[in-house]
Amino acid sequence: MAAVANMPVSDLLKSFKLKTKQQELLIRVSILCLVYILAFITRLFSVLRYESMIHEFDPYFNYRTTLYLTQNGFYDFWNWFDYESWYPLGRIVGGTLYPGLMVTAALIYRILHFLRFAVHIREVCVLTAPFFASNTTLVAYFFGKEIWDTGAGLVAAILIAVCPGYISRSVAGSYDNEGVAIFALLFTFYLFVKAVNTGSLAWSLASAFGYFYMVSAWGGYVFIINLIPLYVLVLLITGRYSMRLYVAYNCMYVLGMLLAMQIRFVGFQHVQSGEHMAAMGVFFLMQVFYFLDWVKHMLSDTKLFQAFLRITVTCAVTVGTIALGLGMLSGYISPWTGRFYSLLDPTYAKDHIPIIASVSEHQPTAWSSFMFDFHILLFLFPAGLYFCFKRLSDATIFIVMYGLTSMYFAGVMVRLILVATPAVCLISAIAVSATVKNLTVLLRSKNKGVQTGSTKGSGSSKASSKALLDQSQPFQKNGAIALLFGAFYLLSKYATHCTWVTSEAYSSPSIVLAARGAHGSRVIFDDYREAYFWLRQNTPPDAKVMSWWDYGYQITAMGNRTVIVDNNTWNNTHIATVGRAMSSYEDEAIEIMRSLDVDYVLVVFGGVTGYSSDDINKFLWMVRIGGGVFPVIKEPDYLVNGEYRVDKGAAPKMLNCLMYKLCYYRFGEMLTEYGKPPGYDRARGVEIGNKDIKLEHLEEAFTTSNWIVRIYKVKPPNNRW
Amino acid sequence: MSQKTRMAPKPDPQSLSATAADSSAQVSIDPFFHILKFVPYSFLRPPRLRLKLPSFSLPSAMTVFSLILLTYFMVVSGFIYDVIVEPPGIGSTQDPATGAVRPVVFLSGRVNGQYIIEGLSSGFMFVLGGIGIVLLDLALDKNRARSIKVSYSIAGISSIVIAYVMTTLFIRIKIPGYLR
Repeated sequence: MAAVANMPVSDLLKSFKLKTKQQELLIRVSILCLVYILAFITRLFSVLRYESMIHEFDPYFNYRTTLYLTQNGFYDFWNWFDYESWYPLGRIVGGTLYPGLMVTAALIYRILHFLRFAVHIREVCVLTAPFFASNTTLVAYFFGKEIWDTGAGLVAAILIAVCPGYISRSVAGSYDNEGVAIFALLFTFYLFVKAVNTGSLAWSLASAFGYFYMVSAWGGYVFIINLIPLYVLVLLITGRYSMRLYVAYNCMYVLGMLLAMQIRFVGFQHVQSGEHMAAMGVFFLMQVFYFLDWVKHMLSDTKLFQAFLRITVTCAVTVGTIALGLGMLSGYISPWTGRFYSLLDPTYAKDHIPIIASVSEHQPTAWSSFMFDFHILLFLFPAGLYFCFKRLSDATIFIVMYGLTSMYFAGVMVRLILVATPAVCLISAIAVSATVKNLTVLLRSKNKGVQTGSTKGSGSSKASSKALLDQSQPFQKNGAIALLFGAFYLLSKYATHCTWVTSEAYSSPSIVLAARGAHGSRVIFDDYREAYFWLRQNTPPDAKVMSWWDYGYQITAMGNRTVIVDNNTWNNTHIATVGRAMSSYEDEAIEIMRSLDVDYVLVVFGGVTGYSSDDINKFLWMVRIGGGVFPVIKEPDYLVNGEYRVDKGAAPKMLNCLMYKLCYYRFGEMLTEYGKPPGYDRARGVEIGNKDIKLEHLEEAFTTSNWIVRIYKVKPPNNRW
Repeated sequence: MSQKTRMAPKPDPQSLSATAADSSAQVSIDPFFHILKFVPYSFLRPPRLRLKLPSFSLPSAMTVFSLILLTYFMVVSGFIYDVIVEPPGIGSTQDPATGAVRPVVFLSGRVNGQYIIEGLSSGFMFVLGGIGIVLLDLALDKNRARSIKVSYSIAGISSIVIAYVMTTLFIRIKIPGYLR
């Protein structure tokens, strides 16, 4: 009776028992769901520690434009002329930005409002990057599946979810183009590789639209439009030309180019700029290949065809070179711009373009930055390359090329580690997946051998031979288990490292500073926002603020006042004018400031708190940039024996220039550290030279509570009688 | 000949001459050929040379892989940083007590800065780890003698272990607050 009663229960359980294929699907889906959630929550450190706010400098401009978009609609946004920045020049915003990020955030905002979630646009902006990071893990899974197999796809998704190289630019609050662009980059690459593998027109068109999204999102689309032609060229050289490749590349190039021209900032660059000519050249080369293939198909005589081949290739190459030469000579095809040329020749920016060289993100990469951002993946990358070379196919050739070119560029510029991250994660996933598969095959084949031995074992000879084999098999089985544990240990170390790096290094908002107090308590400096809010409340609405270009976006977004120069840095002469004003004596500077209608001057000073990214440390760049346009400013005037000093032994020009006076006004009476004389600069570690500073044409308007931001008002000219 | 009607739509004279030269091997209608037959080469005799155009064959996959490994070593050890920033090969500090100059291997204080030697040694460790995994895969290949398989696997495991331990050690020395 009990057996009968138990039967329905066990039958019930049996009905729930899944087949192996369904079990595998369940495991895969649950892993992907967990990875999706993990990628999102690992980026939320700063939101939990501080508050939901926008970080850094550039995201404030993006936030301001998104705000404008949601308030005024797309047409006004696309045709917006901003008179509040770059006074008196203004900025054509619609034509000088990449709208992808703003449109995406506005779309998410509209969808949420449609579903009656009344969120503020700032929350949407803050959380856009983590949301797209989660989507990138899904794309990485499908891409890994395309290149290798589902196991590699899952590992790739996991690796990219926590990789610090990607997290650094996609934390919550980092509302910048890269957050969306990396998703678009990987998506376009996935669609293109899928198109090359299947030869289907639908996938090619999808990749063209993916490319359009990438062009709308980030200026780094130049990487795609150069990597894909290079990939096609490598396939042609290694003899892998096929109809699939022809269909994929032609559709993607033509439609992608037409779509890309819809973005005003890009305009006609696809036919006019030297950076895009590789794609066009390969496009024509593909037509030549197709033509030769067709002729070969028509002719049955191989010698005839060889002669024809030689002639056609020579003609094609000659015509192409002549066309390119004519284009470049006549000036129709513009040469490579400085930003991208400095990637090919890294010494170029140092000698010729100080603005590009001054940005800390543009420095070349040292080994520790690689280790910080990649950890274990640096071992797995060459191993993954080995596996790719063992099993060459169209897709693995692509990922190898993507990995190598992006690693080279990552070596040239620290910021481009971000572009290399998906490739490194995918190739490392291949290494992990292949190694683990080898080890588990070792495990499972040994089991099978033992089992068949036990079921079949009848004769003593068989038993003895099996016994001999059995001696090595458990050893190998144990070895395989030990190696699997080792792999698990390494991957868990990777996860620990990534979480630590995210928490300590990449989750700081930069606009709010934190430091450890005397007894280990955390001290928060919110001076920037204090100063911008003061500007917003206490200055006339049409006041013009002069500051160094770093703070321009934040002043317009939070202070809501007109600025002279901001982070767009599109006009070097204007920035040099500001740099000249900051490095001149007060009498010369006031002339420049009056010509620009400046009402307030804002400087950042770290002497009281020990904050090292202040304007005094950036001052030499102001001198260099100003001196690049106005030769009256000479860098050696501010140095003593080639050394940059602010104490008693500093150069007299340094001690009396406007920046020095504005930063150190009234600082001579300030006691900053116990046991040090008044006027001790904690960021430079010296006592300042000129303590008795008198300002003639400016007066102090506001200094924040920790002296980090100081605002001065330009006094109107004296009455004349 | 039926071949000619199915040829390329716009045959240029050179291709025509090629087809004509091939279809009837003796008489050529190429004017340049005839001119050259007369002007220098009626009295000049070209010497018999055994020159061959260098044939260009693609290198094998593993050759390319080893070249790539070399490039990877250079990139990851911060070679470009060394070329542009030109740091010293090894740093030095002065011992405050004795006044002697001691070498400092790791540039401390910044994540994105290095001396040349520390970059090269770290790059070597990364490549060693990669080669270790490759050796492991070679060890699991079925078509080798057992002793070679065992030695490959031991070499592979020891490479990975050494590379990982050294790299963690390096990063701990360089960044004092690592994992704390």
